[in-house]
Amino acid sequence: MALLETHGLTKSFGALTAVNAVSLGIEAGTLHSIIGPNGAGKTTLFNLLTGTFPPSGGRVSLAGKDITGTPAHRIAHLGLSRSFQRTNVFPAFSLLDNVWMSAFATAKSWSGLLWRRADRYPEAIERARAALADVGLADKAEQQAREISHGEQRQLELAIALAAAPRVLLLDEPAAGLSPEETRKMVALVRTLKGRYTIVLIEHKMDIIMNVSDRISVMHFGALIAEGTPAEIQRNPEVRRAYLGGMAA
Amino acid sequence: MLYALMGLGLSLITGVLNIPNFAHGALFAIGAYFLVSVVGVLGNFWLGLLVAPIGVAVLGLVIEYAGIRRLYAAGHDYQLLFTFGLALILNELIIVIWGPVGISHLPPALLRGGLDLGFTFYPKYRLFVMAMAGLLVVATWLFLEKTRYGAIMRAGIENKEMVSLLGIDIHRLFTVAFALGAYLAGIAGALTAPIRGLSPGMGVDMLGIAFVVVALGGLGNLLGAIAAGLLIGIAQAVVAAYWTEASTAVIFAVMALVLLVRPQGMFGIR
Amino acid sequence: MRAAVLILASICVLPLIVRPAIASEIWIFAIFGLGLNLLLGYTGLLSFGQSTFFGSAAYVAGYLLKYYGIGVFAALGVGVGIGAVSALLVGYLCVQRSGLYFIMLTFALNQLFYFIAYQWTSVTGGEDGMPGIPRPALFGVDLRDPLHYYVLVSAIFLLSLWLMKRIVESPLGRILQAIRENEVRAEAVGYHAPRFKLLAFVLGGAFSGAAGVLYAMLFGIVPLESIGFVFSGNVVFATLIGGSGSLYGPIIGSFVFIWLSESMSVMWARWPLLLGVAFVIVVLFFRGGVVEAWSRVWRYSKRTA
Repeated sequence: MALLETHGLTKSFGALTAVNAVSLGIEAGTLHSIIGPNGAGKTTLFNLLTGTFPPSGGRVSLAGKDITGTPAHRIAHLGLSRSFQRTNVFPAFSLLDNVWMSAFATAKSWSGLLWRRADRYPEAIERARAALADVGLADKAEQQAREISHGEQRQLELAIALAAAPRVLLLDEPAAGLSPEETRKMVALVRTLKGRYTIVLIEHKMDIIMNVSDRISVMHFGALIAEGTPAEIQRNPEVRRAYLGGMAA
Repeated sequence: MLYALMGLGLSLITGVLNIPNFAHGALFAIGAYFLVSVVGVLGNFWLGLLVAPIGVAVLGLVIEYAGIRRLYAAGHDYQLLFTFGLALILNELIIVIWGPVGISHLPPALLRGGLDLGFTFYPKYRLFVMAMAGLLVVATWLFLEKTRYGAIMRAGIENKEMVSLLGIDIHRLFTVAFALGAYLAGIAGALTAPIRGLSPGMGVDMLGIAFVVVALGGLGNLLGAIAAGLLIGIAQAVVAAYWTEASTAVIFAVMALVLLVRPQGMFGIR
Repeated sequence: MRAAVLILASICVLPLIVRPAIASEIWIFAIFGLGLNLLLGYTGLLSFGQSTFFGSAAYVAGYLLKYYGIGVFAALGVGVGIGAVSALLVGYLCVQRSGLYFIMLTFALNQLFYFIAYQWTSVTGGEDGMPGIPRPALFGVDLRDPLHYYVLVSAIFLLSLWLMKRIVESPLGRILQAIRENEVRAEAVGYHAPRFKLLAFVLGGAFSGAAGVLYAMLFGIVPLESIGFVFSGNVVFATLIGGSGSLYGPIIGSFVFIWLSESMSVMWARWPLLLGVAFVIVVLFFRGGVVEAWSRVWRYSKRTA
C-alpha cells in the first residue's frame, strides 16, 4: 500500500480548475517526481497536500488514514514536511534557530514552553544540528539567514523541512534559481536523502528528474497525463508532446 | 448618513494609501470649527459650507505632502504614530484657537425649525443634512464609478503596483485620495456643527465610529463603507430611542459581534 | 549582566533625582511597555488598544480596593487576571485579522471599553474617574509613604522584567518571533499562528493589568484617560522610541516618555500638542535614527555582557 495517496484530488478557483482529479500513490522509501510545464498545477497540488487550502473534491490519505483538509499547522505533526519554491525562511534568525523552529515544533513534548530557556532542549538542538549537517551548512549555524547566499538559503530551506523528521518530504523545486554548479550540489544532496525519506519532488529541470527519480508523474493543465519510470516517461509520446517537445530526450 | 460619509472618506484613505489614519476624526472636527470661523467672518452659512471643507482638503493636501508621503515605506506603526500625533496636535490647536468650551452654532435661518411630517415634527436642518450627505455620497460614488480618475483610484485600492506600472503617478493619486477623504471628513464636520454643537472632543468620538464603519464595511470596500455607515446610523438611532446612554457603546458592541461571525466585515473580501 | 546592574542602579538612584511618585510612574509605565512589546516587538503585532487591559484592570481592582478593602496582593492578582481576560476577549476577535485591519480593530475595541467606562458613571465615575483608591498596608508597612510604595513598585517591576525575560527566551518567545519573521513558514513548520498570537495577547494583557493596578494605587484615582486611546498611543510611542527590538527598549522608552510628559505638562496646559509634535518629529526625522541606534547599542551591550 502506498504511503501517501491522493484520490481524485481536485481544486477549483471559480472557473479555473487548477488540479483536476489527480490520483497518485507514493510508495514508501521512493523518490517520486512530479513534472509538468508552468501552470500545470504542481505547486497547487502541493498546497493541497500541505493544507494551505482545502481541496474542492477528492481525498488525501497518509498510511491509510484520511488526512484531507488538515490545516497547514497540523501537517508537520502528521509527518509531512515541505520546502518551498520561493525561499521561505526566518530572515533575522540564525541558521540554527531557523532549523530549530522546525525541530521543536515536532518534538515529542512542548513542556516548559513558556519558561524553559529555548537552548535547553537537547533533543531539538540535536535534530537541528543534524539537519544542518545533512545539507552541509553545519559550519554556518550561527550566521543570520539573511546574510547567506541564495544557494545556501535553498539548502537551508531543505534543512528546515528535514529537521521535522518527517515521514514524507515534499520538495518544491529545490534547485530553483540555482547556478549549474549549485544545482549539481543540490542533486547530490537529494540523492543522499533518497532511501532515508519518502520524497515527493517537483522539478522543472529534466536532468535532475531523470537521474534521481524512482517514478515520475506528469501533470498538464491540472490533470495527470502519464506516470511511470523515467525510461517509460521518456518514451511516452503524449508527454513529449505536452512537455518534452523540442527538448533533447 | 453622516457616518456613511465619514466611513467613505476613511475607507478611501485606508484603501488607497494603506495607512491607518488616526487623524480622520480631527479633520472632521476641524471642518466644524472652520465652518464656525468662516461664518463668523463672512456671515453666510452657505459660503461657510462651501469654503470650510475646502480648507480641510487643503490641510489634507499639506499633511499628505509634508508628512505621510515620507512614510509609505515606513510600516504601520510609524504611520500610526504620525497620524496619532497629528490628531493630538489638531485637537489641541482647536482648544488653543477656539477655546476649550463647547460652542453652539445655529443652523441658517432658512433651515431652522421643524417640518411637519405628518406623524412627527422633524428638524428641518437634520433633513437637510441627510439630503446633503446623501447627495455627497452619491456624488462621490459617481465620481469613483463613472469617471476615469475615479476608476484609477479604485484600481489603486486593488493593486498599487499595477497602477504605477501603467504610468500613472501614484504619488499624485495618493495625494488626491487623501485630500478627497479629508474633504469628506471636513464637510461632514461642517454639516454636523449646527446639530449638536461643537466641542474639542468631537473628533475623537467620530474617529472610533469611522473605524467601526470601515471595519464593518471591509477595508477599501467603498460601497461596503457606505452601507455600513447607513446601518450603523440607523442602529444607533434605534438604540438611542430606548437606551440613550448606551447608544455609542452599542455601535462598538455590534461591531464586535459582527466580526466574531464574519472576520472580514459584512461585505469585506479581504 | 551589564543590563541588570544598570537597572538595579537606576532603581536605587532614581528616587534621589526625582520625586518617588514620578519614579514609581516610570517603572509602572515600563511594565506597561513590556506587555505591549511582547506583541509589538516580538510578535510584530501593533496593538493600539493596550489601555483596554490597563484601564479595565485599574477600574476593577480599584473598585475592589475601594469598596471591598482587598489587600495589595489580591488587587494585583485581580489586575493581572482582568488584564488577561480582557486581552483574551479582545485578542480573540483581533488575531483573525492582520495588518491595518488588526490595528483598527484593537483601536475600535478600545473605544468600546472606553465608552462603557464613560457611560457607566455609577460604577466608574465617568469623566471624573474613580477617586479614593486606597493603598492598603502590606506586611505591616504603610504604603502611603511614597518611598515605601516605590519599593513595592520597583520590586514588582523587577519581577515583571524577570518574567518577561523568561518568556522571551523560552520557545514561546522564539515562536512569536518566527511568526513575526514569516508567518506562513511558521505555520507550515507546525505552529498555529492565531493561537500563539492570542497567547501573546493574554500575556501582554496580564502585564498591562498589573501596571494598571499599580497606577491606580499610585495616584489614588482611576482616570477615564487610563482606558482611552491617547494612553494606548503613549505606550506605543514610548516603546518605539525606546526600541521595540529589545527587551529593555520599553524601559528606556518609559524614561523618555515620562520625562517628556512631566516636563511639558508643567510648561503648558496644552502640552498634548507638544507631545503630538514630539511624535511627529520622532517619526519623520528620527525613525531609524534614534530608535535603531538605540536598539543596536543595547544589543551590542547585551552580546558583550
